[in-house]
Amino acid sequence: MRAKLPLAGIRVADFTWIGAGSYTTKLLADFGAEVIKVESSTRMDSLRSTAPFKDGVAGINRSGYFADRNTSKRSIQLNLKHPEGPGIARALIAKSDIVANNFTPGIMEKFGLGYQDVITFKRDIIYISMSMQGGSGPDAKYVGFGLTIAALTGLQYLSGQTDRPPAGTGTNYPDHVPNPCHGAFALLAAIYHKRGTGEGQFIDLAQTEPTIALLGPAVVDYTVNGRVAERCGNDHWWAAPRGAYPCRGTDRWIAISIYTDDEWRALEEVLGPVANEAERNWADHAVRRRHKTELDALIGARTAAWDARGLMTKLQARGVPSGVVQTAQDLIEEDAQLAHRKHWISLEHKEMGKTLYNAPPIRLSRTPAALSRPAPLLGEHTEEVCLDLLGMTRPQFDDLRAAGVFE
Amino acid sequence: MAQSAALTGLKVLDLSQRYAHYCGKLFADMGADVILIEKPRSGCALRGEAPFIADKHDPEYSIPFFYFNTSKRGITLDLEQGEGRELFRNLARDCDLVIDDGAPGALDALGLGYAALAEIRPGMVVTSITPFGQAGPYAQYAADDLTLLAMGGFLHMMGYPDAAPTQASGNQAYAMGNLFAAVGSMMAVLGAQTSGEGQHVDISIQECVTMALENAAQFYDLEKRVRTRFAGSQRQAGTGIFECADGSVYIFAGGMAAIRFWGNLVQWMKDEQVPAYETLDGPEWSDMVFLNSERAKDTFAEMFSVVAKRKTKEELYREAQRRRVPLCPVSTVADVVQNRQLAYRGFFTRVPHARAERELVMPGAPFQLSATPSKVARPAPQLGQHNREIYGAIGVSEQKLAALQQAGVV
Repeated sequence: MRAKLPLAGIRVADFTWIGAGSYTTKLLADFGAEVIKVESSTRMDSLRSTAPFKDGVAGINRSGYFADRNTSKRSIQLNLKHPEGPGIARALIAKSDIVANNFTPGIMEKFGLGYQDVITFKRDIIYISMSMQGGSGPDAKYVGFGLTIAALTGLQYLSGQTDRPPAGTGTNYPDHVPNPCHGAFALLAAIYHKRGTGEGQFIDLAQTEPTIALLGPAVVDYTVNGRVAERCGNDHWWAAPRGAYPCRGTDRWIAISIYTDDEWRALEEVLGPVANEAERNWADHAVRRRHKTELDALIGARTAAWDARGLMTKLQARGVPSGVVQTAQDLIEEDAQLAHRKHWISLEHKEMGKTLYNAPPIRLSRTPAALSRPAPLLGEHTEEVCLDLLGMTRPQFDDLRAAGVFE
Repeated sequence: MAQSAALTGLKVLDLSQRYAHYCGKLFADMGADVILIEKPRSGCALRGEAPFIADKHDPEYSIPFFYFNTSKRGITLDLEQGEGRELFRNLARDCDLVIDDGAPGALDALGLGYAALAEIRPGMVVTSITPFGQAGPYAQYAADDLTLLAMGGFLHMMGYPDAAPTQASGNQAYAMGNLFAAVGSMMAVLGAQTSGEGQHVDISIQECVTMALENAAQFYDLEKRVRTRFAGSQRQAGTGIFECADGSVYIFAGGMAAIRFWGNLVQWMKDEQVPAYETLDGPEWSDMVFLNSERAKDTFAEMFSVVAKRKTKEELYREAQRRRVPLCPVSTVADVVQNRQLAYRGFFTRVPHARAERELVMPGAPFQLSATPSKVARPAPQLGQHNREIYGAIGVSEQKLAALQQAGVV
């Protein structure tokens, strides 16, 4: 028999939407929590309308972006602006262990669903709010997305070439890893605490702070040394050469990072002796560092004739830190390691058919994560949740539906 | 009133050498008793990582080491020696979690892998953080943060379209490995809490990096399009970085998620008397095909730059947010430290550094838990700082400890 997943028996009333929040509760769902996503067509999760779509055809149940962030959850449609809506949400919360949302502060309170409201009828709830800048304070009501948050945290400024505008990550990065993982960790710690003491609590996660926490060394370099860190391309203070170098084909690159003299010698064995008119002693680490821009050009001139994967194989055989700059296509079609780890999962979705999902990148030997179901259709489970979990009778449910509560 | 911590009583042994220290920091700041185990004399490799306090290249002055090891206690121990391994087994007897970033199989070769530790303590969780995971064709590949960003598919999406892909700052590949490791470790700890059975948590940093690709994998799966990098241009019209009077700002006003804010932007441009602002007011501005066109991007850039160039990033931030337009300054580290909202939340914390005889201001808890706040409970350990108290607690006498020190075991 399959071992029980670590979060089996934990129910989550999930009011999250878009990026960071939805991914936090997905992590819980993939490890056994019963997550019920509360949605409404009157205030649609905008990821449902965000590309890519199955066959390129838009539709609220066709977004691969939404799907990948909402596996293993059920979805109910509930219009919180309908007079009956908040009462049903409260009934769901009363039967849940965790409430999660990432609205602007005040929205949940407006519906009588804030933490202070909830503890009046569910004293031991674990309640997480993941607003952009935290529950209170001068900028608490500001609006933003992952990309603007990355700018506010300093990550955007610090990433890119020295002599060009900040490049950032090109994605809503804080939404995808820093915020969901910090949020999930805080929730799991709160569960651990509750199991020992019976005590629930409120978790206030500002979507700026996890990313700044990851930049801690740059912050301290400023506060203690007074140095305002600048963008540095692909540099690392010790390594040289280090960068992404061109390979054969269009927009193909290999990343190479040389830290030691041994690695340098191995690199030269593969690429051939590196020399130019300047006749520098490249075997000397200090020379490599001092003239790294010149060296980058020499390395790039040599890698350009190589197939990126072939070069990586040769370099790795000699222990040189290197890796193909892979595209998403490479990851899906070429990468033998991700295939070995069974990272890509195909699930049969009711409207999209067989489509691709990321497995959580966490391999537990005894209780492996399981994508128990593909992303839900909008409101797919409204009826079963209302009847089976909330104990409505069929006539009650039909009346409420006719009244427009489940829109 | 003294508040308790969420993970009080949880015992962790942290064998991180180079890049897995943030995982243990999350546990330690949350109240777990985390013991960092370092090689005698040299300490862990992270102690050699810049920047250094006052630029002093000294193992006790590494800022990354000091920041990523707060709230931990520290001992030295040589696992290459038989006596060292015996001491480790003794420590493991009442430990819940071991965190390791050694090469795949290295701990097994010492007889200290998951299977061996589970015999000592069935509830033990062992978390291994490695570049590519414990097994598979790339498992022994040499890597660093840059090559892992590359292999995970993230690097291809970062940087300027006309140049080589360019990394995100701050060792983000390592960070992602640590974050998923912390979540996975906590899952396994919760599993052991109810079942009494531990397990092995196998983290591949490369695989963690693939989680940062946003929708790129699904774009390829569903529409057979390969996403690439776009720095220097707008992601779609209305979303991108713009120069202002004293730096730059990032505005996210175009695209499906931001559609509800577009009207606010148009009103703003009108109030600023931007010439031909009404060009921005039409149904095409909610059409993704149009927003992705060069014409739409050029139009937006022309309009918005008029306003951006005459204001500072702070002025633009306040004015945009007053009007509910998603815009933020592209902050420098100095801006971040001076940010009024972070100050209001008490985000930054002061941690004393004994050797440098000063306090370091650093990021504090990345989340606020009302009943069990996470916090920096103590500074990172000096090399071997807690040898006496920790070895004493498992019955090693002063005399024995001196002998072990003599033999280079601790």
